[in-house]
Amino acid sequence: MGLKSIWTKIYQTLSSVRTGIFLIIVVGVFSAIGTVILQRPTSEPGDMQRAYSPETLALLDRIGLTDIFHAWWFLVLLCMFCTCLIFVSVDRWPNAWKVYAHPVRFATAPFRASLPQSVKIPVKDGANALSVAERILGRCGFNAERVTESGATGLFAEKQRFAVFAVYLVHLSLICIFAGYIVDGIIGYRGTIQVPEGQALGQITLRDNRGGESKKDLPFLIRCDGAGEETYADGSPKKWWSKLALIENGKESIAKTIVVNDPFVFKGIRIYQASMGQSSTPKTLIFEATPAKGGSPEKVEVPLNGKAALADGESLSVLRWIPDYYVQDGEVYKKSDDPENPAVQLGLTNAAGETKKLWILYSQANTTKGQEAAYEFSLKGATWLKYTGLEVSHQPGQFGIWIGVVLMAFGLVIAFYTQHSRVWATVIDDGKGGQLLWTGGTTNKNRDRFQAKFEQIKAALQEELGGAVVANKNSENTLTKA
Amino acid sequence: MSEARVEQQRPASGAVLLVLVGLGIAFALLVALLAAAKAHTGPIYGEANMLYAALVLYTGAATLYMGYGVTGIERYVNAASLLTTLGFVANTAAVAHRWSVAGRPPFSNMYEMLLSFVWTLALLTLIAERAYKVKIIGSITMPITVVSVILMQLLPSDVRPLVPALQSTWLQVHVTLAMLSYAACAVSFALAMMFLIQDGMKTEAFQAITATGMVAVYAGMLLTRFRSGNLAVTAYDMDAKQEVMISRGHPLFIQIPDLGWLYLLVFLSAVVPLILYIVAQVKKDRSFFDIASKGMFVTILLQVMGLAIFVARVKNGRYGAPEAEGLFATAMPANPFLLSGIVGGIVAGLLYLLLLWRREGLQKMMPSADKLDTVTYKIICIAFPLLTLMIAAGAYWANQAWGSYWSWDPKETWAAITWLVYAGYLHMRITRGWKGRRAAWFAILGFAVVIFTFFGVTYLLPGLHAYAAG
Repeated sequence: MGLKSIWTKIYQTLSSVRTGIFLIIVVGVFSAIGTVILQRPTSEPGDMQRAYSPETLALLDRIGLTDIFHAWWFLVLLCMFCTCLIFVSVDRWPNAWKVYAHPVRFATAPFRASLPQSVKIPVKDGANALSVAERILGRCGFNAERVTESGATGLFAEKQRFAVFAVYLVHLSLICIFAGYIVDGIIGYRGTIQVPEGQALGQITLRDNRGGESKKDLPFLIRCDGAGEETYADGSPKKWWSKLALIENGKESIAKTIVVNDPFVFKGIRIYQASMGQSSTPKTLIFEATPAKGGSPEKVEVPLNGKAALADGESLSVLRWIPDYYVQDGEVYKKSDDPENPAVQLGLTNAAGETKKLWILYSQANTTKGQEAAYEFSLKGATWLKYTGLEVSHQPGQFGIWIGVVLMAFGLVIAFYTQHSRVWATVIDDGKGGQLLWTGGTTNKNRDRFQAKFEQIKAALQEELGGAVVANKNSENTLTKA
Repeated sequence: MSEARVEQQRPASGAVLLVLVGLGIAFALLVALLAAAKAHTGPIYGEANMLYAALVLYTGAATLYMGYGVTGIERYVNAASLLTTLGFVANTAAVAHRWSVAGRPPFSNMYEMLLSFVWTLALLTLIAERAYKVKIIGSITMPITVVSVILMQLLPSDVRPLVPALQSTWLQVHVTLAMLSYAACAVSFALAMMFLIQDGMKTEAFQAITATGMVAVYAGMLLTRFRSGNLAVTAYDMDAKQEVMISRGHPLFIQIPDLGWLYLLVFLSAVVPLILYIVAQVKKDRSFFDIASKGMFVTILLQVMGLAIFVARVKNGRYGAPEAEGLFATAMPANPFLLSGIVGGIVAGLLYLLLLWRREGLQKMMPSADKLDTVTYKIICIAFPLLTLMIAAGAYWANQAWGSYWSWDPKETWAAITWLVYAGYLHMRITRGWKGRRAAWFAILGFAVVIFTFFGVTYLLPGLHAYAAG
């Protein structure tokens, strides 16, 4: 037992097709299990709790069956399959290369005996027979070259020699695809972020394996300059768009308006339009203003960080916005962020620039009545800031995937629609002082069609050269004397 | 020549009559189902009328293919081929009309996908007939086509504008490839079955396969829809012409009383022949096969009865739902998968009966086992690159729309498993020289996985999760 024999054993196992098949079946079985058992990354926690009892769910979590596809052992299985594929291909490659780089050009006696299709025709003039054969082969699509070996001349014609590489190309493409996926599994990430209009944010939320969340900072900030939705007549969504700008080091680098199916790609990071919604931050607040000295009430809309003009050079602004308030010791505090029960502190600035502060407490009495001011205000409504729901992903391995797909397309086309066919001819002695024209051929697939073609060649040779065909144990039909 | 062939077959007028009666019942049910189908308004060249014409023509073709199977008369298969061609022309007109009305190719909902699938299946049937001279293939592919068109008649067919995620050329490419590859897989399945017939696999084995298929359908149905003797079906709002939803993605299920028990009975009646087959194999006692055969008649009749009662209950009832107050109606369009499972089971049963009574005649009409084996391989050589490109196009579309080329979504995962099975078939054949029976079984397994990917993932898996664990 030495290191060498251990290595030999490993090599033999890894380069065995059976190992590969076993590994891929295991991957397939676990993948199937991953579709039957709910997986955490693609299910809501509520759904999982409804589908399984708490004990079952805890057990599944512990064994790791609730996130099979991101488990380390699944990735290891894929790596092992990849390795096996590499070993299998490398083990068989020298043979294929030999066929390609050093083709058998001259058909020697042992080689002749091994071919599935061959025929021997007695001829008088060997050189002439060879020329006839050359012509006939050319007519049948095999452009032959003359080869000489140890003084004897023969013909060699082949088609599509590159077809031997088909399998290696397909396997290489598969390795490319797996490699791309494994790279993404290790250094890629996907997360979500919600950016309200007007804000610039740079931290995405990654969905964790156990249903939890983790955060990741992007190398830039995403600023949303606008977001909108168009719907069809029946209310179903037609288009979601967001006008985004990416800020690096405080400066805007690049801007784009994105829609679903048209992501923003920058420095290998892809930003997708995933959803849209209304945030609970107001864009503007709508008040009804009744002049204190009498008059009809009018509607005033105040942007949250701006001013609205009133008559007489007065203006209204919002000093404080509390979505859900409570009062303690004479101070107004925020209870929660849900705009259930708002309180607003308004600033009424007159033409001279003096600001009077007024409070509206929604649930007490929605009015500033009693607070001395030129107007009486009450809160009538609000417009809300939209937020854009973005999906952010970094998957550098995807180039491996796309390259692999293209390679596989080529590989499959070559594998299914090309075939490596070869034909040889040479003049041999019949052992009785005469000469025979030996012709033979082989192909790597579609054997029945090649056999028919070979029969055509045989018939043409027979017609031109005449004479009986010497019975050959390999050929099915023996032509009788013409 | 054809007269001589007919003479060689056993005089089986009783059997012929029985088969024709069975087909007649099936056709009558068809017409009853169609009474619930859409009104055929619009121009004569319009989609609704052209599709209806295609349905009638395909049904005629299917019946004639079966008739050819029964009698062996050449005229039948030639007429069937002609009807298939005419049906294909009408189908193409329907597709063209819908395309021009919608402004995009028909690929965005179940109705449209079935329309494309049916078109492809008819095309492949004609190709298999003309290029590969396998004439009898229509007897398997045409019934599938008819079932699909019936299903389509019951699905909502309004041209709906596309939601943002579906507004993509890659979607069209992906779905086209899916339909082409699944149709090719269906044809390879038909050829593999014919190979097994021609290769001399025992009729009892076919009985076991058919029984297994029926058991699978009814097991799936019971697993997801059986509620204490009632059958849960989706509630349907006749005015709004859509399913009643409790919340987004969760339809309301109503319960039809006693139908659950009926289908449990049907399930058991399908299990019996299967068990008898196993017993016969274990005990090496052929008499069990005969009892099993009778069991097959019983289950087919029960399934037809089950279908008729289902149709009757659906059309005339209002039923309660555990999750909402009041009574709700349901309709055929609300339960397309349930219906297709039931009808599929009956069609499989009828095909089995055809084999049982006319096996020798069928075998004379089909090409040699060797030829069938080779053509199966050739069709899979077409299906496999299409499957590969379909998965790739789907991954590219997902990458543009949702941020990742592969999310291990059940549909994606099962598509990959399908790909692996067919890759396995090719591998075994090319490197291991697997031909004949083993290759045929592999091809059949491949199609079973295709069916699961297409129906099981959408229908069975969510159903398993929605009501699991109390």
